[in-house]
Amino acid sequence: MRLLSNRFHGAIGLNAFTLALACLCCCLPRAIAAESVPQDAVQMTIDLITRDDPDFRGIGLDRVRHGLKGEATTQTLAGLLSKLAPARQVELTAALADRGDRAALPAVLALLAVSPDATVRAAAVHAVGSLGGNAEVATLTKSLATADPEKAAARRALTVIRGADATALIVAATKQADAALRPVLIDILADRRAVTALPDLLVAAIGDDASTRTAAMRAISKFGGPEQVSGMVLGVLKANAGGERDEAERALVTVCTQNPGKERATEILLEQFKAADAIAQETLLTVLGRVGGNGAIAVVDGLLADSTAAKRKLGLAALTKWPDATVSQRLLDLLDKAQDPADRDLLLAALIRIAPLPDNKLNDAQKLELLQKTMSLCQRDDDRRRVLERANAIRTIGALRFVVPYLDDPNLAEPACLSVVELAHHRSLRDANKDEFMKALEKVLGTTKNEELVERADRYKQGQTWERKKPAAKG
Amino acid sequence: MAYDSASLDKPLDILKSYDWGGDASAFQTIDAAVLAAHTDQAARADLEKRLSSLLGEGTSRAAKEYVCRKLSLIGTAASVPSLAALLPEQEHSHMARFALERIDAAEAAEALRKALGSVTGDLKIGMISSLAGRGDAASVPLIAALLSADSRTALAAADALGRIHTPEATQALAAAAGVTDQAVAAAIIDARLACAEWLLRQGKRPESMAIYKSLADAAAKGTTPTAKSTRLAAARGILACLDTTTTS
Repeated sequence: MRLLSNRFHGAIGLNAFTLALACLCCCLPRAIAAESVPQDAVQMTIDLITRDDPDFRGIGLDRVRHGLKGEATTQTLAGLLSKLAPARQVELTAALADRGDRAALPAVLALLAVSPDATVRAAAVHAVGSLGGNAEVATLTKSLATADPEKAAARRALTVIRGADATALIVAATKQADAALRPVLIDILADRRAVTALPDLLVAAIGDDASTRTAAMRAISKFGGPEQVSGMVLGVLKANAGGERDEAERALVTVCTQNPGKERATEILLEQFKAADAIAQETLLTVLGRVGGNGAIAVVDGLLADSTAAKRKLGLAALTKWPDATVSQRLLDLLDKAQDPADRDLLLAALIRIAPLPDNKLNDAQKLELLQKTMSLCQRDDDRRRVLERANAIRTIGALRFVVPYLDDPNLAEPACLSVVELAHHRSLRDANKDEFMKALEKVLGTTKNEELVERADRYKQGQTWERKKPAAKG
Repeated sequence: MAYDSASLDKPLDILKSYDWGGDASAFQTIDAAVLAAHTDQAARADLEKRLSSLLGEGTSRAAKEYVCRKLSLIGTAASVPSLAALLPEQEHSHMARFALERIDAAEAAEALRKALGSVTGDLKIGMISSLAGRGDAASVPLIAALLSADSRTALAAADALGRIHTPEATQALAAAAGVTDQAVAAAIIDARLACAEWLLRQGKRPESMAIYKSLADAAAKGTTPTAKSTRLAAARGILACLDTTTTS
């Protein structure tokens, strides 16, 4: 065993080892020669981390991470970086990053400056993020413009980098960056929860570049509050209709319905809406509908009662975006009177969406009642299918009893089968109503053409579970 | 709640014929008495005496197990004779050891050492384990002698010496390092590493280093059954010993 028999055979006082140590000391920086530095431990660590065997390297790297305290030792270890093969450079750089001693930073930066190896550069960038500060923001921003893995490492590094002015420097870099990089930097500010950057993010939210605006609105939605609502309203108005507008609206809705100060944020949104001109109001109505609440319903009611057809249409559109079932009676009344097929579609879709929502302010019985009423108003099988598919979100025996009769309808049997199986998935519900579920599952087995439903129904009948397949990862 | 000896009459009577799965609600009074006796010496002595008296004939196995658990909490030297009497019994040895391992009295260790010389097989291995659990330095010569016993006993002995980790235990392990049984040899290495780690935690770097180095030398010569892992463990240990900047 080379390490122990050659280097340490005969204990630490062995002549050959002492000689080797003496030679080493000549090469080391002056600081390492100080009495407080355990030079034999440093040398053994160096020996370990340069070995071929990964298990032995692991022992040395563990010591780099957690032991051998002191800046001088850090400098000695970091000084090895330039002498190692790329794979070893990656390992040591990662260990030095975990060690957390800034004394390693010059060597890591030097490595980043000269290494052409992508993995080495990524490791160095990662380490700069852990060890660096204000002065390194520019270097990391430069790496952000490269390709992965360096780019990904730079993104993470800028997210974690410390320094009193780091956020301000990233904001400054954002302003100077090209259009492609700006959204990335804004996402980084969002991940840093950079509250101090909010004023700049509001400016970016109404800038010229659509991607930057979208990123800025998304960032503000993560930690914005009432103070940002006015600016976000401008962002929504600035956004292009379509995907960008939709994302901007969602960001503003998040601030008004989920973030701290959401009640005040909603009040401000309403004030902004009332103060806006007609065109802006038309745009903001969707947001108002998505936020919901008493203030918004007053506005929508006013529009629905307006003598102008166009305004009534706007009111209806806003109503169909509502986040809960407080408007269900309005929707039912409107559906009852609606003549325009497009209006009917909108209203039905809203009712089908809202009725079984988990937090729609109705209890389970009320949810089912609303869904049944909606079913009775459906005139097409497509709508009935959607109602049946949504029924399984109400996890009660009542929902099963509502769905089961449709198993006999050839046009609606498949969505009914799906809902029976989904309801049966919940063991406590299934076990508490075993006989009814057994009959329903038996019927599903004789009806559905869907192989997965057959497998699931069969398993539930036997008291077994079924593991839902995870959706494939994006990208 | 104050200790009330009279309130235990009925629960203790029920306990005698208790079987697993039966109604244990009556024993809440006994549990409460154990708590109350914790700070009351007279009550503790009374309760201990009454519980110990149930360890003889005419008490169910489940009841004896319950009593052993309670004696592990409040037992003293006074309980040792009753518990020691159970040590050779296949059914009760384990729970008697459970109590004796935890009773803070020299008599408890003495009883385990005495039983170690008389019981065989699994019961002997149990005694070794309990003496190790007590960290009983006085049992080192007895346990060390078992390193050359049958394989299972020797494995238990090696593990015990590693847990006791006194200088004598360390020496005994070093002296037995040349055993031919591969499994026992591996257990001895583990035990010596345990001793070295304990010494390092105590700040006794030279003593710890000596063990690691000895193991490294043996591994280098290929005389250990776990050469690579021993080399790794020894290297890690030597490095930790050398690194005086870090408390281990």
